[in-house]
Amino acid sequence: MAGAGMRDIKHRIKSIESTKQITKAMELVASSKLRKAKERAQASRPFFNTLYETICDIASSNNDFSSIYTRQRKVRSSLYIVIAGDRGLAGGYNSNVFRFAETEMMRAQEQGQDIQVIAIGTKAVEYFSRTGRTILGSYPNFAEDMRTSSALGIAQLAAKAFREETVDEVYMVYTEFVSALTQEVHALQILPLSDSISGGGQPSSYVIYEPSPLEVFDNIVPKYMTGLIYCAVLESYASEQGARRTAMEAASDNADEMIQNLSLSYNRARQAAITQELTEIIGGASAAE
Amino acid sequence: MATFPLQVLTPERVVYEAEVDGLTVRTTAGDVGILRGHADYVAAIDIGFMQIRIGNQRRTAALSNGMLRVNRQKAVILVQACEWADEIDLERARRAEQAARQRLAAQKSDQDMALAEVKLKRALNRQQIAQKK
Repeated sequence: MAGAGMRDIKHRIKSIESTKQITKAMELVASSKLRKAKERAQASRPFFNTLYETICDIASSNNDFSSIYTRQRKVRSSLYIVIAGDRGLAGGYNSNVFRFAETEMMRAQEQGQDIQVIAIGTKAVEYFSRTGRTILGSYPNFAEDMRTSSALGIAQLAAKAFREETVDEVYMVYTEFVSALTQEVHALQILPLSDSISGGGQPSSYVIYEPSPLEVFDNIVPKYMTGLIYCAVLESYASEQGARRTAMEAASDNADEMIQNLSLSYNRARQAAITQELTEIIGGASAAE
Repeated sequence: MATFPLQVLTPERVVYEAEVDGLTVRTTAGDVGILRGHADYVAAIDIGFMQIRIGNQRRTAALSNGMLRVNRQKAVILVQACEWADEIDLERARRAEQAARQRLAAQKSDQDMALAEVKLKRALNRQQIAQKK
C-alpha cells in the first residue's frame, strides 16, 4: 500500500518538474523579449505623449469645423480599438484588457450606442468573436513584427468608418507599461478631435493652416492615428511580456514549493514503508523462535 | 540671435530637442521658414526635409510622414522617420530604390504600385538629402 503511494507521489513530482521546465523556459523567453520591448516602448513614449498633446493643442485652438474629423456629432455608434496579446499564459494581462473594455462598452451601450470593435492580437480576436461583438477588423499576430504600414492600415480602416459615419467616436484600449510588475489599462479617445479630447481650451482664430484647415486635418488625422496605434501596440506588447514574465516566475516558484512539499511526503512515505517492513521482519523472526 | 525651442520626434527616438535660430521645412504646402515668434501654425509633412540653423551652422535631415506644429512656446515636428544627412545609409537607399523600381515594373496591383511608389519617393529623397550634407 505504501509502495503505491510512493509511486503516485513520484509521478506527481515528475510531472510538476516538467511543468516547471516549461514555465522556466517561458520566463526566460519573456524576460529577453521584455528587455527589447521595453526599450522600444520607452523610446516611443516622448513621441506618443507629444503627439497626443499636440493634437489636443491643435484641437483646442481649432475653431474651424470644415473637416469631418473636428465636427461634433450625435454619437450613435462608437468604435473600440482593443489591443491585447497573441498568446495566453500572461497572468491577468488579457483578461484585464477585456474587463476594462467591457466596462467601457457597457457604459456606452447604456446610452444606447452601438459598439464596434477592431481587435488587435489573437486573444482579442478570439474574445470578441466569442462574445459576439460586431468586429470591424481583426488583426491576429500583429504586435511581434509590426510595421508602420500595418498600423497605417488600421488607422485608415478606422478613419474610413468615421468618415462614412458608421461610427461617431473612436476609442483605443491599450495597456501602459509602467514597470515590469505594474501595467495599467487605459482608454483613449482618438476621434473626433474636439473639446472632449482636449478638455476645452481657448479657441484662437489666429492659427494658420496650410494649405487649408480641411486639407491639413484630412492629411494629419490618419498620420496621428497611425502614430498613436503604433506606440500603443509597442506599450501593450511590453506590458504583455512583463505580465508573462511575472506570471511565469510565480509559476516556477510555486512548482518549486510543490516539489519541496511532495519530496517531503515522498520521504515520509518511504520511511514509513521501511519501518513497516522492519516491523514485519522482526515480528516474523520472533514468531519463528 | 533670437532662438526658439524645437522638438523633432519619431516613434524610435528623440531626434532633436534644443534651441535653434531658424528652421526650414518642406510641408505639403511648400517650403516654410520658421523663426522665433512665428504665429500659430499647423501643416502636414509627406516626404521632404528640414534644415535647422544654429548660428552659422546648418544641418539637414530627411523626413517622411508627419506634421509640423508651431505655437507660442515651441515648434514641434512629429514624423514617422527622420535621419540627418550624415546618418543616411546611401547604399540602403539605393537598394530600396532598385527594389521599388522593380515592384513598379511588375505592375501587380494598384495597392502594391502605390506602396512601391511611396517607397521609391522616400529612397530618392534620402539620396538627395545625403548628397546635400
